[in-house]
Amino acid sequence: MLTLIAKILKVLNSEDSPWQIGWAVGFGVLAGLLPFGLLTMVILLVVCFFTINLSTFLLVWGVCGGLMLIFGDALEAFTWQHAQNPAFLDLLASTEILQLLHLHHTLVLGALLLGVFLLLPLGWLSSFLVTQYRLRVMSKMRKWKVVQVLKASKLVQIYEKLN
Amino acid sequence: MIRKSGLLVFIALLAVVLALVYLFAGFALRLGMVYSLEKVAGAEVNIDKVSVSLAPLALNIRGLEITDKNQPTHNSVSFVNARAALELWPALLGYYVVNDLSLDALEFGSERKRPGKVYRGENANAEEQIDLTEMLRLDIPDADELMARVNLQAVEKGEALRERISQQKAQLDELKGKLPKQENLEKIQAQIKVLTDSKIENPADLANKAEQLKTLQEQLKNEREKVRQVKAELAEMREQLTQSVAELRAAGDADWQRLKQLANIEDGGLAPLSEILLGDFWGEKIARIESFYRLVKPYIPAEGGKGAGDEAASEEPILPNRILPLPRQPYPDFLIKNAQLQWLVAGGEALIRVQNITAQHALIGSPTQFTMDIKELPRLKAFRLNGDFAILEEMITNLTWNMQGLELNSFALGGGENSLQLTAGLLASDGSLKLINNALTQQAELLLQQADFTAAGNRYMEQLADLLDRQSQIPLRIKAEGLLSDPDVSVRSSLDKVIGDALLGEARQKLAALEGRLRSQLDDALGEQMGDQADWLAALNQQDGELDAIQGNIQEMLDAKLADVTSGAKDRLKDTLLKRRKEE
Repeated sequence: MLTLIAKILKVLNSEDSPWQIGWAVGFGVLAGLLPFGLLTMVILLVVCFFTINLSTFLLVWGVCGGLMLIFGDALEAFTWQHAQNPAFLDLLASTEILQLLHLHHTLVLGALLLGVFLLLPLGWLSSFLVTQYRLRVMSKMRKWKVVQVLKASKLVQIYEKLN
Repeated sequence: MIRKSGLLVFIALLAVVLALVYLFAGFALRLGMVYSLEKVAGAEVNIDKVSVSLAPLALNIRGLEITDKNQPTHNSVSFVNARAALELWPALLGYYVVNDLSLDALEFGSERKRPGKVYRGENANAEEQIDLTEMLRLDIPDADELMARVNLQAVEKGEALRERISQQKAQLDELKGKLPKQENLEKIQAQIKVLTDSKIENPADLANKAEQLKTLQEQLKNEREKVRQVKAELAEMREQLTQSVAELRAAGDADWQRLKQLANIEDGGLAPLSEILLGDFWGEKIARIESFYRLVKPYIPAEGGKGAGDEAASEEPILPNRILPLPRQPYPDFLIKNAQLQWLVAGGEALIRVQNITAQHALIGSPTQFTMDIKELPRLKAFRLNGDFAILEEMITNLTWNMQGLELNSFALGGGENSLQLTAGLLASDGSLKLINNALTQQAELLLQQADFTAAGNRYMEQLADLLDRQSQIPLRIKAEGLLSDPDVSVRSSLDKVIGDALLGEARQKLAALEGRLRSQLDDALGEQMGDQADWLAALNQQDGELDAIQGNIQEMLDAKLADVTSGAKDRLKDTLLKRRKEE
């Protein structure tokens, strides 16, 4: 747990741009929502190819993957209910590439749409929060007595080790 | 923005994933299968090894054993090896198309090396025994019971007749409203009388009165037309009533035929022994096919599968990741093109071949076909089963079989003093079965040969055993129809008459009495159903007579009065003309 918090702090305080972290959160959520398959590999390729923060991506992927164990059934039922549009089904039937991406599977379709819908807002929100953290919180936090006390703690030692 | 080493990282990740799949997929699948199967079977499941090969894409399962929870020293199912080769492209698209499935050394009930663990309570071990004590109560069937069983058609037709009479009563009330009013007719009659009795003064008067008479005649014709229409409708009502009564009588005759057949009166026997002996037994066996129907039922289209009418709306199964109902799809959700099973059975083996296993037969345009061949087993000469089934608008299954030389085990019927033992015998059978959803039509010919019966302790049973032993062969015709869960089984055999003649001669009088009772009960039922149709027919006839009277009255007015007016006018006109001529 301490290591995890230390990792988050390390990323937040790193030199990576806020957008690199923001995109990592967005793509992590997208990968986490999707069942593992070809689309996940495509997302992995994008994440590897661009300078997106890998640690954040992997962390968010894992957390969202866990959440899908709880919310997956509801998302599947919702998609099944709302994806019965004849024109859309016809498009899916006539385009093999969409079937190759398993978009005719309810959970994949629902997860992809939800993930893509959340990608930009989450990316923007995450980068904004990181920026705000670095501008307002990080420098002030360092001056807090609590923080100075904590500097001598085990958590900080781990943090220092990771640095 | 572009990570130069990104591609390398990706390839490395991909390689790791593939390696993990290759190394651990088999292990993970094995764990998953054991967990799921144990959950279903309620007993220990062992799998030696599961492996996945990537080229060609195939799943291999070695040494699967599922413990029988009722007998943990044995397996319920086991096989030595199974291999399923999947087609890659359909698999990438999310469809499971298996080219070849092979299952070697499939066994049911094989002995385990060590007893398996049982996780769930045992099922009751339902021993299927025929209660001969019950069977030996070869009483004449009860007339009330037979009447109840035959589901009289006459009752249905009687209800239809009563319904028709009730409709006709309402219709007649309505028709009466259409009839000409008596006071109207009397008024017209009075007007005609005034016209015809009055003196014609001159041609103008004649023309005027003729015009008035014509108007009254038109009114009368209208009234006559109404009477005609009512009469026509009345005639139709009588026709319908006669037809309903004829249908009811025909239903009564049909019921009588069915009652006679059910009581086996025409064969001179009693309630057939073979049916008492085998009917429920066969019905229970057939009902087992229902588990197959239940397995397939979720795949039958909802609008097509309502034939039986007993289905309560079942809950739609929620799957973790369903395939959307595409208007067309390149492959079925799952399809096994060829499957070959080697089944180790009774000291030999059976070879089962199945083609096109799927639940979406419309997509592949052919049914699932299967054959099973068993030859030269120690206790069975030959058995061949052919069949097919297709799930289209309905599930349609056809089966035919041919069995030769099945050696029967010693088979006890009843117990104690009333025991009858079949010590040896050979059974042969031909038959066919058709299943549309869960509605069954099945017929089979069974031949019991070289049967050897023994009985002890009861003179009656000894006689029966002796009689059965003297038969070189005992043929049985078994028919079953109706719902799988509760088929109507009829078993007939020439044996019934033999037994009836030999052992139950004294039952003849009882049989005659039964026939009388049945006829009388059926006649009572028929009379009850006929209800007040005779009264109603008389009422219709009476109404028809009244209409005839009205019609005659109208016609009389039209004919007689018209003749008086014209002849009077003619005479007067003739007189006037003669008078004028004389004056000239």
